[in-house]
Amino acid sequence: MATLTAVAVVSGIAGALAALLVLAERFIANYGECRITINGEKTLTVPGGRSLLESLAAEKVFIPSACGGRGTCSYCKVKILEGGGPLLPTELPLLSESDRAGEVRISCQVKVRNDLRIEIPEELFNVREYRGVVERIRDLTHDIKELRIRLVEPDAIRFTAGQYIQLRAPAYGEQREPVYRAYSISSPPSDGGAVELIIRLVPGGICTTWVFDHLKEGDEVVFNGPYGEFRLTDSDAEMVWVAGGSGMAPFWSMVRQMAEHGSQRTCTYLFGALTKKDLFLVDELRELEDRLPGFRFAPALSKPEPGDEWDGETGLITEVADRAVEQGTGAEAYLCGSGGMIKAACAVLEQKGIGADRTFYDSFT
Amino acid sequence: MKETPGEARIRERMKPGVLCADGFLGDDRRRVGEIIDADRAAAERAGTTLDALADRLGGVLDAAVAGLGGRVELPGGQTAVWREAMGRIPCPFGGCGTFPKGEVELTGPGGETVRFTPLSVHLLAEHGFAQGRGSRYRLEPALLARLFG
Repeated sequence: MATLTAVAVVSGIAGALAALLVLAERFIANYGECRITINGEKTLTVPGGRSLLESLAAEKVFIPSACGGRGTCSYCKVKILEGGGPLLPTELPLLSESDRAGEVRISCQVKVRNDLRIEIPEELFNVREYRGVVERIRDLTHDIKELRIRLVEPDAIRFTAGQYIQLRAPAYGEQREPVYRAYSISSPPSDGGAVELIIRLVPGGICTTWVFDHLKEGDEVVFNGPYGEFRLTDSDAEMVWVAGGSGMAPFWSMVRQMAEHGSQRTCTYLFGALTKKDLFLVDELRELEDRLPGFRFAPALSKPEPGDEWDGETGLITEVADRAVEQGTGAEAYLCGSGGMIKAACAVLEQKGIGADRTFYDSFT
Repeated sequence: MKETPGEARIRERMKPGVLCADGFLGDDRRRVGEIIDADRAAAERAGTTLDALADRLGGVLDAAVAGLGGRVELPGGQTAVWREAMGRIPCPFGGCGTFPKGEVELTGPGGETVRFTPLSVHLLAEHGFAQGRGSRYRLEPALLARLFG
């Protein structure tokens, strides 16, 4: 009897506490409707209480995010001019000094509790969420795959060659929540009913493990985009492209668009790999050399194996760039790869007369 | 000793599927604090410290990254190769920012190999955490001590 009484008392207390929490959430944590003014022009009215990232996404304004709002990727930076409240401890490690000086915040950590004024790049208004079906998965090398996704809803995408999308990897295995990862679109913009991606396996990577071990042709996928400012200029300047591995992706989109438009621009594409088995799309790029009079594809191996019978360029891609570029004055450089490769390549190209103002890059890291 | 709430939160972030597919604990059932204490003692038995090992690994990382994917030879007779990867990964301890993905394969003169990442170096240097047994990037103090001579 005493036990039953104790259980009843504890249950009653728990119930009362739960009711108090509900009331507290309803009346104390209820921030009502809040207005978010974007770029001084567009105003959204949203229910308060959610993160800025979630609130914007609910209104179909997509800010890049790789970690699903867990405050770990730092992609979702937004400039908040008013109403953001004090900087949070969870934001501090992800913001540089210039971010803080520029009123930049981590939007997945900032709660919408009052009206806000924010600034975001105009290009983000073109970002949509897309549903598609995997039409083809093709092995390009032992650790790189090409995905072709046919769009279902919406059934077409508009983007500039060089931009990227964020592919959603759903919960699978021990992965309890979906994550998003950024991949450059490798198909040309004219192929608007589909997107192609070039994906390299990252050991222990959540999304790439899903792509390599679980994703099948015919599966539905979700992604958002397009994002990014990496693109060719409209000039006629001679170009040097430098990439390795999955850094091929934006250039594969760009060169196919150049071929469609009959571009006359002079372009030397330096692509670095370790051995011959790490090269891909070589035949396709050689064919484009025939179609584009100014285009030259120069693959380079840093450690060719005896069986490779390689008579092409050898050495690190930066050494190859040093040899390939004699006088770079007036030329433009486009780079896609790791931060280390980009830093090293920029140093070489600067010495050849291609300064920072004429160097454009899409860094992996 | 019971796991503190702070340790429990860190352990949750270290589990597979939270920050990376395989997590940071491998098949190790010990508390994070126990792993750190045991590895500190192991380093001492091997005649070194976790700080010293982290320092050496940092040097190897810098040399390997500068090698841009080619195998580099190190002064102690080891070789290292850097494999780049897209993206960044946060520290599971929280509050430390994010680190570039990619891994270094370090091979000693005797052929022993260990793999580590920029985040591995940070975890060892700042938190004394060498990752759980069975983890892909587990840094056994005794093995490292042998590799570095």
